[in-house]
Amino acid sequence: MAVDMKTIEHLCGLSKLSYDEKGMEKVMGEMSDIIDLMDEIKGFDLTYDDTKDNNEIRFCDTREDIPEKSFDTQKLLQNAENTDNCYVVPKVVE
Amino acid sequence: MNFTKAKIRDLRKMLDSGEISAKELCGEYFKNIDEKDESLLSYITVTKDEALKSAEKAQKMIDEKQAKALTGIPLAIKDNICTDGIKTTCASKMLGDFVPPYNASVIEKLNEQGYVLLGKTSMDEFAMGGSTQTSAFKKTKNPYDLERVPGGSSGGSAAAVSASLAPAALGSDTGGSIRQPSSFCGVTGIKPTYGRVSRYGLVAFASSLDQIGPIANDAHDCAILLNAVCGYDRHDATSARIDVPDFTEKLGQPIKGMKIALPKEFYSDAIDGCVKDAVLSAAKELEKQGAVLEECSMPGLKYAIPAYYLIACAEAASNLSRFDGIKYGFRGEGRTFNDLIIDSRNKGFGEEVKRRILLGNYALSSGYYDAYYKKALALKQEIIKEYNEIFEKCDVILTPTAPTPAYKIGAQDNDPVKMYTADICTVTVNIAGLPGISTTCGYEKDSGLPIGMSIIGKRFDEQTILQTADAWEQGFTPVAPEF
Amino acid sequence: MSAYFPTMGLEIHAELLTKSKVFCTCSAEFGGTPNSRCCPVCSGMPGTLPVLNRKAVEYIIKAGYVMNCEISRFTKWDRKNYFYPDLPKAYQISQMPRPVCLSGNVKINVNGEEKTIRINRIHLEEDAGKLVHDEVNRISLADYNRCGIPLIEIVTEPDFHSADEVIAFMEKVKLLLQYAGICDCKMEQGSIRCDVNISIAPKGSTELGTRTELKNLNSLKAIAKAIEVEIDRQEEILESGEHVIQETRRFNEALGETTAMRSKEDAHDYRYFPDPDIPPIIFTEEELEEIKNSIPELPEQRVERYVNSLGLKKADADIIVGDKKVCDFFDEAIAAYNNPKAVANYIVGELTRRINLGEADMENLKFTGADFARLVELLQTDKLSQSNTKVVLGKMIETGEKPDDIAQKEDLWIKEDNDLLAKTIDEIIANNPKPVEQYKNGDKKVFGFFMGQANKALKGLASPKAIQEYLTKKLEE
Repeated sequence: MAVDMKTIEHLCGLSKLSYDEKGMEKVMGEMSDIIDLMDEIKGFDLTYDDTKDNNEIRFCDTREDIPEKSFDTQKLLQNAENTDNCYVVPKVVE
Repeated sequence: MNFTKAKIRDLRKMLDSGEISAKELCGEYFKNIDEKDESLLSYITVTKDEALKSAEKAQKMIDEKQAKALTGIPLAIKDNICTDGIKTTCASKMLGDFVPPYNASVIEKLNEQGYVLLGKTSMDEFAMGGSTQTSAFKKTKNPYDLERVPGGSSGGSAAAVSASLAPAALGSDTGGSIRQPSSFCGVTGIKPTYGRVSRYGLVAFASSLDQIGPIANDAHDCAILLNAVCGYDRHDATSARIDVPDFTEKLGQPIKGMKIALPKEFYSDAIDGCVKDAVLSAAKELEKQGAVLEECSMPGLKYAIPAYYLIACAEAASNLSRFDGIKYGFRGEGRTFNDLIIDSRNKGFGEEVKRRILLGNYALSSGYYDAYYKKALALKQEIIKEYNEIFEKCDVILTPTAPTPAYKIGAQDNDPVKMYTADICTVTVNIAGLPGISTTCGYEKDSGLPIGMSIIGKRFDEQTILQTADAWEQGFTPVAPEF
Repeated sequence: MSAYFPTMGLEIHAELLTKSKVFCTCSAEFGGTPNSRCCPVCSGMPGTLPVLNRKAVEYIIKAGYVMNCEISRFTKWDRKNYFYPDLPKAYQISQMPRPVCLSGNVKINVNGEEKTIRINRIHLEEDAGKLVHDEVNRISLADYNRCGIPLIEIVTEPDFHSADEVIAFMEKVKLLLQYAGICDCKMEQGSIRCDVNISIAPKGSTELGTRTELKNLNSLKAIAKAIEVEIDRQEEILESGEHVIQETRRFNEALGETTAMRSKEDAHDYRYFPDPDIPPIIFTEEELEEIKNSIPELPEQRVERYVNSLGLKKADADIIVGDKKVCDFFDEAIAAYNNPKAVANYIVGELTRRINLGEADMENLKFTGADFARLVELLQTDKLSQSNTKVVLGKMIETGEKPDDIAQKEDLWIKEDNDLLAKTIDEIIANNPKPVEQYKNGDKKVFGFFMGQANKALKGLASPKAIQEYLTKKLEE
């Protein structure tokens, strides 16, 4: 197996997903197969140079600082549980 | 009147001459949809009420002789392109009730033209898949054989066009999601150069690879639709500030002397014999028209699948993190923020989406980043280099679109590795940001299933691949599905 | 004396004074009705894309220059991934391997000694929203108005060894950012925020101890206090043979203590990667030169100019420049009345005194620099006495009325009543034969005594100049 249960649990934590025991077994098997496939890339030995992507834009092509009208609050909230113009979240403990 | 395989340009003439009104025209398509989509399952949402309103608006433009190329033309739109006030589900339970408060830039452009929206088409959930069978709502069938997949992820759009439930449609293509279903459904689809069409309002799968593009009955219609939706958009910083040509301009020009490259790695044993034969005999036909065939090589193709999945899933994991059940979408249960978000995502996402999120976070997580994600970016640079080398000597590249024709529904279930490797012919085009078009090059002898070939062009040279595809189509008689 | 010495590094977040947000066109103003300064982009709607605000980039470049940083010719943006309800996209757009500014330095002055603090980097990122907690219903309400306000994060090297150094640095950075026009630096509104990384180690040790990160420091006072109590806490831990845990701690100003924050889950793995929606940017030398040249006069240059060109005392110039609001007020005043020394004197003496007493507040002054200048002019030209000038200033602070109107209404003008002047001074001379004699014998010092007597008797009724003239005439007779 390319990945162990601990790794899958860690990935679930990062992904905000969870599985029951049976689901974990299944996904671990699938992820192992997938990661075996991904491991083929290890046979390739060039290094990445981020300055050579040729996708940069010029400074002058960025947006001008001109504010525009914002959106209607209710329209923004139309898909959310909301009250007092705010999104409702279960209480966050800091 | 018969609208089977009707072309946009024919409909244009009918509308402009008054032979049919915009309202009647969309009515004809709705009649088809009502009759046939129950078994085809290509639309998630059908928008009859909205269509009547836009048809009226379009008719006014036509009557006032203000018609543009798409005024009154009915179109289907993939359900990951945001439409203000109309459900946009991404074929996911997560967005099952999501009504965007804004229009994608391509929709704004189509509205300016006075197009008529027929509905939103099914797809693989969040565009992740090649069969449209991961859709949470409509698992679209192939019009040539209802037991087979239409391809994906834009399977709804391709099947609808193939079955004449729309004259043309928009899809999106991250690793082949326009070209592969076009090939499976016997229609023509183009993935434009990265940056040619604004992504604003396209629900992101993999931001550096996604591109919206047309699916239509032929290259000419693709060119007409591409003309309408392309161009720089101030809402998308990755959209290109480059002049837009008329994509119909080179259509009909002879391809004499055009150099067509055939990279040998695309014709390996991994490709079905029937596919190889069909593509190579199409190449011979093009040669007869005066094109020059050149054999070449792309060694990087060996690593293309892992490179593609690592980049695409890393970006997807991040892009899909915003679905937490709070701002929009499926809201699960939970007394704390953490519980609510996990429950929402557990229940809202399907299994394939979850796998890709896990893979993406694996590739990005500390300790693995250099070995996977960074390596994939290095490979991206290598693939671009290899394409550039080929384009130094050739004008276009010809490859199969998929290793096989449409396969049976269920054939790839529970086998993600098989599903992923089937993308081998299409992903490098997205990795390199190039334009690619798939058109039908033949049909499998026994089954009659369509086989597609892909023509890949230089960056921002959609004109030449459209010209090549059109040149082929002029001598080819397509067979409509008997659906 | 403690057996330990502290080492600190700072992470300062400053909100930039752009008109629109950093990745969308919503207003970047502070406050507003919840979610009224939002759009699909800053509220994280599916399908939306960020488009970078040029001004924000210009401002961070300026910040880099005023802190002597190297400006990267190639810069790019990354996603910092974590889940929190104030972060609608579940990632913050920030910069990791290629920030705009690298390795700078800022000189500070602590107890008369100059010290250089090294800057590790400055990068551009977006602010998060705000949560309001509803204890009764056990819910939190999310407001995204602040989402997407541009922030720069200034990261220093661990160069601080006392709270005084930290405070001096914060004051210096605030001034630099204010004068460069980058940030208004209102700590109480959160437009500049500071986290302190702090560790202690035995004196003489070359290795640093385990650090904690202090958050929620809303004022310079809070920073100083938090550092003090955290050093004490860490000392106690080490003294008892325990280990300091690396964690984030929140300062509770009311209780004067730091408490461990419940760690954001998986916060240690942010999975940074280049944001595919924002292309990297390249700068030309000309663009950078133009931005550099557009930086307004900085505090040190201003002090120099006030001393050398306007003739102010260094100490006065330091006080005026030490508060951007006061400094702008001064500039406005001398533009209306070209007597810098007198204006400076009255700002440093009288206005500052009242600010310190809490009578006046530079944030909400009801009168302009020009009004103030007029007041100083009235004093200088003997239209108002010293004491009545103060009375008028008091009224101006209260009501914002013009000095001339106040003086008129309250009848505070110096009255040039020559008969009364002559009569009063004649009487003083008549009543003091002895000093008169002293004066006539050449003891000119007694003139001061007569001036004092006359001033007291003629308070507000004659100008000092008139008194002096008449008195001199009489005594010389």
